[in-house]
Amino acid sequence: MSETTAPKNIMQPKEPRPDVRQKVTGTARYTADQYPAKVLYARSVRFPFGKGSIVNADVEKARAIPGVVLVDVKKGKSVNYAGGIVGRIVAESKDALEDAMEALNATYEVEQSRTNPSKLYEGVPEADAQANAELKGLFDGGLKVVEATYTTQVQTHSCLEPHGSVVDVRQDGVEAWVSTQAVMALEDAVSNTTDFPASKVVVHSEFVGGGFGSKFSLGAEGTMACRVSKERARPVRAILNRSEEHCDGGNRPGSIQYMKIAVKDSGEIAGGRVHVVSTVDADGGGGGIRNPNYYKFGNVVRTEGDLALNGGKPQAFRAPGFPQGSFALESMMDELAAAVKMDPVAFRKLNETSRRRIEQFDRGAELIGWKDRKADGGTPGRIKIGYGCAAGSWGNGKGKCSSDCEIHRSGEVEVRVGIQDIGTGASTVVTDTAAWHLGLPRTMVTGKVGNSDYPPGPGSGGSVTTRMTVPAVRDSAEKALGELKKELASVWKTEPDKISYGEGVFVNPTNNQNVAWKDACAMMSGASVVGHGRFNDEYWGEGGSDTVQFVKVEVDSETGVVKVKKVVAIQACGQVCNRLTAENQVCGGIIQGISFALFEQRMLDPMTGGQLNADFINYKVAGPVDVPEIVAVLDVRDTDTGARSIGEPSTIPTAGAIANAVANALGVRVRHLPITPQRVLEAMLEQKGAIA
Amino acid sequence: MRSFGYAEAENAQGLAAALGKGYRIKAGGIDLLDMMKERIDKSERIVSITGMTELRGIKERDGGVAIGALTTLNEIARDETLRKAFPALPDTVCNAATPQVREVATIAGNILQRPRCWFFRQAEYNCLRKSGQACYAVAGDNTYHSIYPMGACHITHPSNIAPALVAVGAQIIASDGKNPKSYDIRDFFLTPEQDLKRENKLPQNEFITEIFLPKMPEKSAYVEVKEKQSFDWPLAACVATYADKKWSIILAHVAPVPLRATLAENVVGEKADIDENLALQAAEAAVKTAQPMAYNGFRVHLAKAVVRRALLKACGKDFHA
Ligand SMILES: Cc1cc2nc3c(=O)[nH]c(=O)nc-3n(C[C@H](O)[C@H](O)[C@H](O)COP(=O)(O)OP(=O)(O)OC[C@H]3O[C@@H](n4cnc5c(N)ncnc54)[C@H](O)[C@@H]3O)c2cc1C
Repeated sequence: MSETTAPKNIMQPKEPRPDVRQKVTGTARYTADQYPAKVLYARSVRFPFGKGSIVNADVEKARAIPGVVLVDVKKGKSVNYAGGIVGRIVAESKDALEDAMEALNATYEVEQSRTNPSKLYEGVPEADAQANAELKGLFDGGLKVVEATYTTQVQTHSCLEPHGSVVDVRQDGVEAWVSTQAVMALEDAVSNTTDFPASKVVVHSEFVGGGFGSKFSLGAEGTMACRVSKERARPVRAILNRSEEHCDGGNRPGSIQYMKIAVKDSGEIAGGRVHVVSTVDADGGGGGIRNPNYYKFGNVVRTEGDLALNGGKPQAFRAPGFPQGSFALESMMDELAAAVKMDPVAFRKLNETSRRRIEQFDRGAELIGWKDRKADGGTPGRIKIGYGCAAGSWGNGKGKCSSDCEIHRSGEVEVRVGIQDIGTGASTVVTDTAAWHLGLPRTMVTGKVGNSDYPPGPGSGGSVTTRMTVPAVRDSAEKALGELKKELASVWKTEPDKISYGEGVFVNPTNNQNVAWKDACAMMSGASVVGHGRFNDEYWGEGGSDTVQFVKVEVDSETGVVKVKKVVAIQACGQVCNRLTAENQVCGGIIQGISFALFEQRMLDPMTGGQLNADFINYKVAGPVDVPEIVAVLDVRDTDTGARSIGEPSTIPTAGAIANAVANALGVRVRHLPITPQRVLEAMLEQKGAIA
Repeated sequence: MRSFGYAEAENAQGLAAALGKGYRIKAGGIDLLDMMKERIDKSERIVSITGMTELRGIKERDGGVAIGALTTLNEIARDETLRKAFPALPDTVCNAATPQVREVATIAGNILQRPRCWFFRQAEYNCLRKSGQACYAVAGDNTYHSIYPMGACHITHPSNIAPALVAVGAQIIASDGKNPKSYDIRDFFLTPEQDLKRENKLPQNEFITEIFLPKMPEKSAYVEVKEKQSFDWPLAACVATYADKKWSIILAHVAPVPLRATLAENVVGEKADIDENLALQAAEAAVKTAQPMAYNGFRVHLAKAVVRRALLKACGKDFHA
């Protein structure tokens, strides 16, 4: 279900993506679907445990397998995470490649791994003297003080299409298919790796099955594909399998977040101490937990650090650092509200920094039925109902993008932008923006993306794609229209700017007659006209990405099973290019947020450091039955005249809102994600001394 | 995947001949092919039996019900007779796996599927069940392992449907191509103590033709607890049935075999109608012999919860109250 508050600034209210048929019938061709003639298969040999090295591997036996082209294993090379690369195999077929992997029959030296963050955590460091004095004032000043430590797990990106490249280095140039979020940057990377000038390289990524922040570089597999293809003068496929994807395809780092916050009886937050630690890989770096945020937290003394584990390297992951931070700070918001006996919504509104979100809180509360919310643990019986809420937002900076809009003699319009559609509907946005700008039916417009020969656009990170693409596409459409008017002016013997145009109709100023789009296009002297557009401030407009979410859950207090029953999201995103894809982004963000809150967690074995759930059976991702009713309200106002970010803000508040709803249901707070039955039961035992 | 020889059996004689040559049966193939792709199962010859349509379907016979070995989980889930006479049975499978899996997976394949232990399922871990030296679950992460010790290996039995069959004392009818064989399902499954490498008694040269349920119970219920509601194996489940003044209480997903909770059965005795209090006592008794490992203590509580709930549900009572 969905609802829109103001349909006015919505370019395309209801039509599905033009490529929907290709996607549901399987004719959309992704990188993983590319099998050029005579392709070779390449895969890395990986160390399966947390720390150690390969002692022995039967390289000779592997090489002897028919169809095996190359086997290369670095015995003794020390590795510090499961999935670390220690060699490579290239073969004529996937089966031969896997036979060779098995034939290696490797033996390992396994050292003790660092796998358990709570055991390795060193606690909160002393703040400096001045900060300590300030904190002492806060904590000893008769205010209510809440102290809590929250933790979040490591979540892997779990893209449906794994990372991978298919690279064909030929004598005259390179053609590559890469599953990427940055097709332009990948052209540069392939050019550097193969030593061909960029003009001789083309990268295709017309369809991409998700990236979530993990697909910005060529990666070890892409580099391997480039090198082997160049060495062997054959196309090479290097596509990760699911286990490689989990272990080495990127992850959202876990966190330990300490908060001690003082609040006045009026409900105003006075400030306090925050220490955040992210669990990163053995080399460190890549953490960055965003806590605190959104609310006025007063005077906060904040420190942060990293905790190194023997696990794969973190990568940017849909709103990097925000869902973790939001979970902790929104949990704390509810704990503070309880400390001063205030309603969580009223408490948030009091400490809000955004006027828009204050209004969104009222709207969301109404749609979820907040008035039915009972006191914590107040539902009779074993099945407890709870409600929770949380906020989010996103920064919207300007950027660069270019676009070509080509109007054909037939009247058909083709728009090319060097961006990529990682599943978000970017090509739909291009189509609908151009159609809307030109006042044409969308069936006459084709938006094309995912090719490095197109005019350069941004990589899809930071939710920039739509907000940077729209001003460029509109600029190119406007310029193409100008070119077409020049053509008409020369036929009609007039000045181009005397010709008026709107909704598919030109007016010939010499006789005041209407000329339909197609008839006008047929008058052009050549086959087509092209407008070259760039990001144009004129089309930037106004808008923001504030959001709030409300959640209703049902918790079985005997088994600890949490079911999300309903989520309401009030999401601003400026002007909407296509309502279905925009709502789809909100729903996707929420589903990924539910999955983060309740299910997903990388599980490293304490003994071996191997990832025990590098699959989709034990690595649990929300499935159809786990997805609740989602009410995605696009909060579009008259003032929202420019496209803004939506993909990342929509996933930020979900986990915090769920955690708050669970606490409301049970009267017991689970401060650790994911909120599994085990965690719920443990929290009940710890906080109530008994279950149910 | 390794390459393998492939044949299709048309009848019992053909199948027996193939088994004689060392062929391995493929029914729905859900588990077998997964195991082969992971290179845990190294079968070199596979014989598909999906063409043997006589092995498919649910029939009433001799006062009981015969379920053909190739009957799919969804055929069982949708069967009107079973739904009325023995609702716990369709309930065990109607939410198992995914709709697509349920359309293909067969009842025989389901009870014969290999354990889900994450050490067993990864080639890198040469565990006891794969002829190795150690059970990695002992010192490793054993969240999903057995909470009832039954030997050196700590798998749980992964079948949803087996506990319902054990509850009513089903017979497994098998054949070697010449003679029918019958196994009492109550001693068909093998604990690690009995055999470290096999989970049941079926010899390689025999195949299951049907599962026979001699008598429908007067009451029955199935209750499961899952971390996630879409394609996830339960953390604990229980089937309770009542027939001839006797309760059968069978726990699933908590031990290496579908586990008969005899102590709990003793608590409820002949009583046809069980109240909250008695159900709770039975539940306590059911977990008396549980000995959880380092990471899975919470599942003892869940085992207790599913026993209590199954008994109340079988008596038509609201267990959420
Ligand atoms: C995502 C997912 C989730 C799942 N969740 C659950 C769950 O919650 N509960 C559950 O119970 N299961 C679950 N399963 C497992 C699934 O139900 C089983 O894999 C399936 O039932 C196996 O049946 P099959 O017909 O495909 O067997 P196959 O894979 O064909 O065979 C399995 C084994 O049985 C043998 N075999 C099959 N038929 C015969 C016969 N007639 N005679 C002798 N031997 C035979 C084969 O040789 C093989 O060893 C899940 C599976 C997946 C993929």
